Amino acid sequence: MPVITIQGLTKRFGPVTAVDDLSFEVDQGTVVGFLGPNGAGKTTTLRTLLGLVTPTRGSASIDGRPYRELTDPIRHVGAVLEASSFHPGRSARNHLRVVATAAGLPLARADAVLDQVGLAEAAHRRVGGFSLGMRQRLGLATALLGDPQVLILDEPANGLDPEGVHWLRGLLRQLADQGRTVLVSSHVLAEVAQTVDQVVIIARGRLVTQSTLAALTARTDQLVRVRTPQAEALRSLLATQGIQADPDGTDQLLATGTTSETVGKAAAAAGIVIYEMGAERSNLEDVFLQLTTKQGA
Amino acid sequence: MIRLVRAELTKLATTRLIYGMAAAMAAFAVLTVAANILDRQGAPPLAADSLPVLVAAPVTLLSGAALLLGILGMAGEFRHQTVTETFLVTPDRGRVVAAKLVAYPLAGITLALSILAITAAVATGWLAAKGITPSLPEPVAYALGHVLLGAVLAAGLCALVGVGVGALVRNQVAALVGVAVWVLLVEGLLMSLLNAPSSLAKWLPSAAAAALTNPGGAGLSRLAGALLLTGYALALALIGTRLVVRRDIT
Repeated sequence: MPVITIQGLTKRFGPVTAVDDLSFEVDQGTVVGFLGPNGAGKTTTLRTLLGLVTPTRGSASIDGRPYRELTDPIRHVGAVLEASSFHPGRSARNHLRVVATAAGLPLARADAVLDQVGLAEAAHRRVGGFSLGMRQRLGLATALLGDPQVLILDEPANGLDPEGVHWLRGLLRQLADQGRTVLVSSHVLAEVAQTVDQVVIIARGRLVTQSTLAALTARTDQLVRVRTPQAEALRSLLATQGIQADPDGTDQLLATGTTSETVGKAAAAAGIVIYEMGAERSNLEDVFLQLTTKQGA
Repeated sequence: MIRLVRAELTKLATTRLIYGMAAAMAAFAVLTVAANILDRQGAPPLAADSLPVLVAAPVTLLSGAALLLGILGMAGEFRHQTVTETFLVTPDRGRVVAAKLVAYPLAGITLALSILAITAAVATGWLAAKGITPSLPEPVAYALGHVLLGAVLAAGLCALVGVGVGALVRNQVAALVGVAVWVLLVEGLLMSLLNAPSSLAKWLPSAAAAALTNPGGAGLSRLAGALLLTGYALALALIGTRLVVRRDIT
């Protein structure tokens, strides 16, 4: 059963279409990476989901209802948006107590979540003096305040040092193990690859693909790099066999979803000269890059 | 709704703004008492019934501070982007503005009462040092009550107007500059155009506020002034809220 439903979502800011007819669902208890390059529309989508931005068309809902119609939303949904939305003059603990008061949560929750994100020692310091990493932790603490079953995190790894990223992975895994649903955005696939079950990839406001991480990984070891003076001839030859090959430089081709044997035989049969050929294992990042740049280009 | 008002008051109590304002106003209040006691040129000599006059001196400042507090409380949310978290917790934006419309008058009144108490204490002490024991026979007590009631009403309603202005303008600097220009230039101009205090000039916001602390004469009665100022505040807040509700928070 989907917890998060994005349905035909379109958002225009003046002449700019930030999100373009986007649809996807997130099932209960899954951790989904929401990926795309900067400016792909991730933040706009998440802000629409959270009722902060009104969609031009389409809808975004949580448990079948728009965020604005949820009663006590932060008991259902915890969100981390950009790290700057704290009053610089307020202490971390007081920030959390303000939120707890408004949401009718016990004030003791403030100390509990500060502990959970490792900020207990900075509880009484003003947020203005916090590093970016500490702000991200405070953002996560705020999201966890209502002990929500759904977490929506916009680039939570931004500003975290390697140790912080490691810590974040552990936290996300722990939240997922507790059966919570997590939608976490990032512009770097590797950041979330170890944590997520599924990925939703968008580019230029449109859905590129939604798949399991396993399916995405399966696309990684099927790359053949060919150096040939007849790149264009080989490209069209492979195309007739249903193999996609993209030029990479002037005399190179990158064939996807095939093997060196297949390419070698095809080239020999057509008398195409090959200087060099090798199978490559592209990494996830290549797949991501390929998916997100190909779209509409 | 009660917890939203409490959250707004907690917000106020957990930054330095209100304490800084209180300290500055207390200092100013003491200075006005000093000025009134030390410089009696053209004024009647100090007597046992001077207390209401001395306490009344910083009252205009109290309304101004309350107005400022209201503006900062509403527009400040946009300036520091805390409005994102505020609207995540309470997606019904109208309720957020409503909570501020309750919380800030309370804060303004508390601030005003604290400063008035300090002013009264300093004035009483100073008079006592001069060998004058302030007495509060009925007319003097009535005059003092008059001053306090006016000051408290003005502080509360000016905070209300401040929240309304903040909701409408959102940009903190623009709101502050706009209010300053309105009060110092536009209203002054309008008043002379309308040949104040004619029947029209008394309907201006500043005149309505003045009616609270200094009612009667050609101006409005205190009740009429209070109602008019409340009307201005709610109108601003309502228009502001309509805009805030639609506005994308990016």
